[in-house]
Amino acid sequence: MALSTVAWITMILAILALPGVASVILIKSLRTEERKLRLLKEQGTIDSYPPRALRELREWAQANPNDPYAPEARERYNECVRSLREIDEPYYDWSDEEIAELETLEE
Amino acid sequence: MENSESRTAREEWGTRFGFLMAMVGAMVGAGNIWRMPFTTGQNGGGAFLIAYIILLYVVAVPGLMAETMIGRYTNRGVIGAFDQIVGSKRAGGLGLVVLLVNIAVMSYYAPIIGWALYYALHSFLMTFTQPGFEPQAFWDGFISNPALVIGLHTVTMAGVAGVLVFGIRRGIERVVKWMIPLLVFALVAVGVRGVTLPGGMEGVAFAFTPEWTYLTRGSTWVAALSQALFSTGLGWGIALTYGSYLSRYDDVPLGGGMFTAIGNTSIGLLAVFATFPIVFAFGIEPTAGSNLLFISLAQVFPELPGGAAWAVLFFVSFFFATFSSGLGITEVGVTTVSEETRLSRSGSVVAVCGIIWLLGLPSAYSSSFLDQMDFMFGSFGFPLSTLAIIALVAWKFGPERARVIDLNRNAGLYVGRWWNPVVKYVVPTVVVFILGYGVVTSIGTENQTLMILGVGLMIALLVVSTVVMSVVGDVSDSAPEPASEGGD
Repeated sequence: MALSTVAWITMILAILALPGVASVILIKSLRTEERKLRLLKEQGTIDSYPPRALRELREWAQANPNDPYAPEARERYNECVRSLREIDEPYYDWSDEEIAELETLEE
Repeated sequence: MENSESRTAREEWGTRFGFLMAMVGAMVGAGNIWRMPFTTGQNGGGAFLIAYIILLYVVAVPGLMAETMIGRYTNRGVIGAFDQIVGSKRAGGLGLVVLLVNIAVMSYYAPIIGWALYYALHSFLMTFTQPGFEPQAFWDGFISNPALVIGLHTVTMAGVAGVLVFGIRRGIERVVKWMIPLLVFALVAVGVRGVTLPGGMEGVAFAFTPEWTYLTRGSTWVAALSQALFSTGLGWGIALTYGSYLSRYDDVPLGGGMFTAIGNTSIGLLAVFATFPIVFAFGIEPTAGSNLLFISLAQVFPELPGGAAWAVLFFVSFFFATFSSGLGITEVGVTTVSEETRLSRSGSVVAVCGIIWLLGLPSAYSSSFLDQMDFMFGSFGFPLSTLAIIALVAWKFGPERARVIDLNRNAGLYVGRWWNPVVKYVVPTVVVFILGYGVVTSIGTENQTLMILGVGLMIALLVVSTVVMSVVGDVSDSAPEPASEGGD
């Protein structure tokens, strides 16, 4: 029995949306782990936030200085900044200019 | 508030592959292999799949990210996570509810693992391809033999305990690392065989041809919603527990959220591929419900060329799926008990598995009791548990705070602000809707008494758990400080 066009489309979409995406994620996730482990082995530490997420963390910490989690946010922010200054190869896509512009927050 | 950097000294996953397989294995279970094909059959085939995929991405993926994140952040089990985030021992009562729901669910799930084991063993004995094999009589003979079912329930719990006693890395991870790939291989193999059968493509056509009218029916969306939410294991406490064994450098959004939900559902889709072509090739009723697997499909193997080998692949993979879920559900209890008491891990394994075994005896003895437990805890226990865990992130920790501080930390996938309203409003609304739908649709039906019993039981669980944790909190507050905090 031949499948109708709509059945083919639904089947292909389902395969792409589910096993297709899952396979891509699996490969990507395993590759990132491999890279993280290599960097950790070579440098002892890695940067923990991508640029956009670190900027949001800084904005949140500055906007909520009295929040019970603010000290932790500042600590995590500063830890990432310090790591970026120390390491040779960042894990995330940081440029030298971006790293040079980073300032730690007062803890 | 406790700084998350003061993480407790405890085990971590050995590899990300191990963690991912454990997450998928814990969630995949019978819900995907057995329930997804017949739910698809009952709800318009492709129309159901479309609704399901939409809801999976909109609700389940963000929800699982939240649950895994709270586990990694707190580095603790279900009670400890509530205790830490809320800052009150009394709040641990909600964690206790999650724990008790898991134990109750495992008590009736363990006999089902036993059924899968029985069929897997008989597939090796080539029972299904023997001349004169009668699937209905075989099933009736098995299920009406309490000694046999209780024996299999006992073997199952002994097996689960045997794996869990070795811990996360040497126990669960070691087992699931080969079980889940084998499960995928088996389903793909059976699927390929199915579509090559004469008439098999009709099953594919049925599964993937959308009957558009179904998309206008509320019942299709509710079924898709329930499947998307509960087949991904959101709010069971498993993602929280497994997430608590992640290292600080691990990724949550990509692995814990995306891969778990989508990988697990991919196995459900493979199950559709594996069963529907066979169902159509042999003229079986595709909306056969729970009987589809144990009775309808069992009749296929004698007629299938090389049927004995296909039966082995099919039933062994089904056993793997159920067993790996059993590990995840039980681990929620083991982690929590070993954290909240002075018991060692092996002591906690024995205690938790022993309690589950004992509570599971009535379900093993009577399948109608099992159905009643499934109705009460599946319809009301899991939504309550999901609501508790999501509320912890959405309303106490706060989604924006969770997102900027922890979710995007070391992440392989950046999660934007869109996540906040989904976790804060959409997921809780969906869970409350499912809870309400379960109540409303039971009124005036034969399930009305069970519904009242189920809702009453959940309220009682909430009250008792809160009281117990308050008392425990008062006792621990008045107890002298321990000299040092132990690890595992």
